[in-house]
Amino acid sequence: MIRVQGLFKEFDDPRSGIFRALDNVSFEVRPGEIYGLLGPNGAGKTTCLRILSTVLRPTRGLAEVDGINVVRNPEGVRSRIGFMSCNTGIYDRMTAWEMVEYYGRLYGIPEEKLQARITEIFNVLQMNDIRDRLGGKMSTGMKQKVSIARTIVHDPPVIIFDEPTSGLDVLVARAVLQAVSSLRDQGKCIIFSTHIMREVEKLCNRIGIIHRGKILAEGTLPELADKYQQPDVEELFFDLIQRREEEVRNSGTNSEA
Amino acid sequence: MSWKNIRLVFLREVRDQLRDRRTLFMITILPVLLYPMLGLGIVEMMLTFSEQPRVVVILNADDLPTSPALLDQSGIGEEWFENGAEETSKLRVLAERTPQAGNEEKSARRPRRGEKTDEELLSVAHQLAEKIETLHGLRPVADESMEATATPQPTSAESPESNTSSAISSADEKAEAASTEAKLTAAQDDISQQFGTSGFQVLVIIPKGYRAAMEAMQREIQTSSSATTGVDAKAIATRVPPVLVVRNSADDKSMVAFGRVQKALQSWEDAVRKFSFEQAGLPKELQHPARLAWIEVALEEQVAASVWSKMFPALLVIMALTGAFYPAIDLGAGEKERGTMETLLISPAKRVELVLGKFATIMLFSTATALLNLLSMGLTGQQMSAVMSDGMANRVSLDFPGLAPLAWLVILLLPLSALFSALCLALATFARSTKEGQYYLTPLLMVVMGLTMFCLSPAVEMTPLYSVIPVVNVALLLKGLLLNSASSGNLVVYAIPVLISSIGYSMLALWWAIELYNSEDVLFREAEKFDIRMWFRQLLRTKDAVPALPEAGFCFILILMLQFVAMTYMKPDLTNGDPGLTMMRLIVIQQLTMIACPAVFMGMLLTTSLRATFRLRMPSITAMALGVGLAIVAHPLTVELSQFLVEHQVFPELPESARQVMGLMKTGDKPTWLLLLVFAVTPAICEELAFRGFILSGLARGGRLAIAVGISSMMFGIIHMIPQQAFNAALLGLVLGLLAIYSRSLFPAMAFHFCNNAIATFHAGEGGRIVADGVFFSRDPDGFLRYDAPLLILCAIAGTLMIMHMIKVVIRDQDAKRRGLVPDFRDLTKGEEVIA
Repeated sequence: MIRVQGLFKEFDDPRSGIFRALDNVSFEVRPGEIYGLLGPNGAGKTTCLRILSTVLRPTRGLAEVDGINVVRNPEGVRSRIGFMSCNTGIYDRMTAWEMVEYYGRLYGIPEEKLQARITEIFNVLQMNDIRDRLGGKMSTGMKQKVSIARTIVHDPPVIIFDEPTSGLDVLVARAVLQAVSSLRDQGKCIIFSTHIMREVEKLCNRIGIIHRGKILAEGTLPELADKYQQPDVEELFFDLIQRREEEVRNSGTNSEA
Repeated sequence: MSWKNIRLVFLREVRDQLRDRRTLFMITILPVLLYPMLGLGIVEMMLTFSEQPRVVVILNADDLPTSPALLDQSGIGEEWFENGAEETSKLRVLAERTPQAGNEEKSARRPRRGEKTDEELLSVAHQLAEKIETLHGLRPVADESMEATATPQPTSAESPESNTSSAISSADEKAEAASTEAKLTAAQDDISQQFGTSGFQVLVIIPKGYRAAMEAMQREIQTSSSATTGVDAKAIATRVPPVLVVRNSADDKSMVAFGRVQKALQSWEDAVRKFSFEQAGLPKELQHPARLAWIEVALEEQVAASVWSKMFPALLVIMALTGAFYPAIDLGAGEKERGTMETLLISPAKRVELVLGKFATIMLFSTATALLNLLSMGLTGQQMSAVMSDGMANRVSLDFPGLAPLAWLVILLLPLSALFSALCLALATFARSTKEGQYYLTPLLMVVMGLTMFCLSPAVEMTPLYSVIPVVNVALLLKGLLLNSASSGNLVVYAIPVLISSIGYSMLALWWAIELYNSEDVLFREAEKFDIRMWFRQLLRTKDAVPALPEAGFCFILILMLQFVAMTYMKPDLTNGDPGLTMMRLIVIQQLTMIACPAVFMGMLLTTSLRATFRLRMPSITAMALGVGLAIVAHPLTVELSQFLVEHQVFPELPESARQVMGLMKTGDKPTWLLLLVFAVTPAICEELAFRGFILSGLARGGRLAIAVGISSMMFGIIHMIPQQAFNAALLGLVLGLLAIYSRSLFPAMAFHFCNNAIATFHAGEGGRIVADGVFFSRDPDGFLRYDAPLLILCAIAGTLMIMHMIKVVIRDQDAKRRGLVPDFRDLTKGEEVIA
């Protein structure tokens, strides 16, 4: 269960003063559903997800994972989430098994349970051939699998994916998406950020469209199609973005006048 | 904090480092191989290196007396050299003498290509001898030691300024003198040049008739001593013509050869003297009337220890630092670069656990590097001393120092390693990339090496003050303990402060590293392009109500640098006029221009609210009363504390300049108002504006008031430079900072400062008319007013109460702010009024 309410995040940029990455963002994700955070680059997706993973702290507002506040009890949150992004790499000099094992131990999983769990994951993700391969010698696809394994080794109720298929080829991306989908079927609460429409259409129960730090629209795909009279997600997305851009430009000229 | 997690992180990092072949190589193979290689290389070089024998030409050697004989068959007799055969082998003596039977083979030496034959050498020597004797004749020997140079010394006959009354009156004589001068210069140039290309390094010219004259002198002494008529001994002695020994001091080779020849000749002369004394029937003890005896107490192992006591501390420091640095880069900036930092941060491990695990890894590698290197070096040294030629081994033994010093080495390595590991981890985390991290190594290495070199100088000894300075304390302790002498037993007592302070510094550095791990700014910082114009513009454009943290730091550095400038350029001219007034004027100028002005200008330039920055608000009566009261109460305590520290030699004696200033405060002739103005009012205003105004406001932006007060007091202390005053100032700075924060105003702090300085001035001026009453006050032998225990206890109680009250109020205010009841000073960015 993820709950975000009135979230603000400001950065100090030497060039332009204060940069507001998140502007009053609010949404909820329930267990057993995949929430898609859709937006162009620089919209604030990564910032939002990093706040949820406790790596960044919000300037203002509330963010809760499974009822635990990310600011007040970050360790509690971290033990309940799995997080994967293109920035969460794997170690070059560790084998796949060692990597997953290390994190399993950090998550406090008792030893026998851990071994059984890792075996299970490796079977499900078909990673048995890279069990003893060093990270530096893996292809991108293999690294992604290891990352996924690491993300779910402790069976977290909440999983956060930040553009998990970026840079992947079609086959590997498909495998990743299948894994995400099966996790949802296990009842996990999943939030998933992307800028690829197809993924959104195929996977997400609900989506939130974010641009320049603001959530422009939110809801299930049918709901949004109905509300904006636009069945095509892509067109809907671009329309909303354009409208927002105009707003920003107008408010800019207004302030100058 | 979970030890299990720390252990997990530690084990993973160590295993990771060991899997890196490069690291393994650097840490284990390299030291093990490097030193033996180096050692072998040096031994090889030494074997191939043979010091070329230097050539000494002795002209007219036949005229040397036969007893005692300077020369033997092959050259200068062995008995005249300190080290016998070894030294004679370094000098090749070409003596011009009639060859004795059976010596033809020895004397005919086939020269190598490019070298001159013996005949050539002798002919050049003869030419030089002629020229030198001519020159020597032109200028008589000046002093009794028979020291003469071939280069002209200015004499009164030459310098035109002096002796105008002497013979140089006519133009002719002047011209003659000038031409003589020119001839002389030309002559020595010629001699110098020819000597340089001659092929020999020293030329000894035995004058004609030397032997005959010596024998005659000895005969005369003999006869004259048996007769009792007055004898002109000097006349006898000066009838012996001088032996000219020619060398070129500018040439190293000549100087080295000359050194040997001179020693040989002097010991030969001793023998001649002895012989003459015997001839004259004088007791031989008269030769050495002063009866000096040189006694050596150093044991051989102590000489050896001296070599290691210099080398080991320096090497230990370098090895520990470099051994810490490279793993740290990998574990800090390297993590960021490889993209595994975020993965680590989302794990449930706390930041503390991550830092400690990494720290342990780095410390392991640092210690291992240092130990392996030292071991390898020590063993190589021992091997080398076995291989090296006897001569050198006699003078310096490279055997390992005993077991106890080695144990100390290992023990002291640990705090050093801890400090470096923590520091390197913090720096490496701060760096944005591994490249940037490596750039931090050079200045760190330079600073550390500078400190170590400072310690190795024999004049520097362990003192209580040094025992708490990082790096210096360990180096000095190690140096002292490795000396293996009896006095090093006393040093063991210093081990405690050294260990404790080192652990303290390590913890500080670790704390910094943990802070960095908690700072999103540092963890996600990417390399930026630094544009100075943009930076400057932004600095002036985005002004806050109060200064930013770096601005406070910069202000401090600016003030510090101005103080340095003052020290070098503003030396007071104490000779003209009233030195007292001059000093006082200087003090006021310094305070105003170098302390107050930077702070005020920076405030005007960089902040929007001078009122907030400099806390120019009206304080409450309580606050003012507290300020004055604390000053009164603190004074006896600080006086007694300073005296205590001076007596226990924690601080060195006051330097001269400080004593001068103290003396000024004593002079009764200055009007009170002037003294107060200079020593109390001016510092109170200027230093408070700077330290409790600009700097404290800036430091408080960091969020933690206690740390801000602490750092501003340390800065305040450092400005005072002299250790005693610095310590005093730092302590008072803490109270002043607390006052400023408690009262939200600068004025109570100024009042405290004023009262404190005013009382101190009166105290220095013989403490007014307070009479020693044996209970509260007393006078010490210097006439200073001293405070006794009852008064001190009262003051301590009062002071503690006041301080605790202030702390309580401040904590209450902070708490209220945190709970949102009062606007946070962090809302400064919106231009709201600051509360702190």
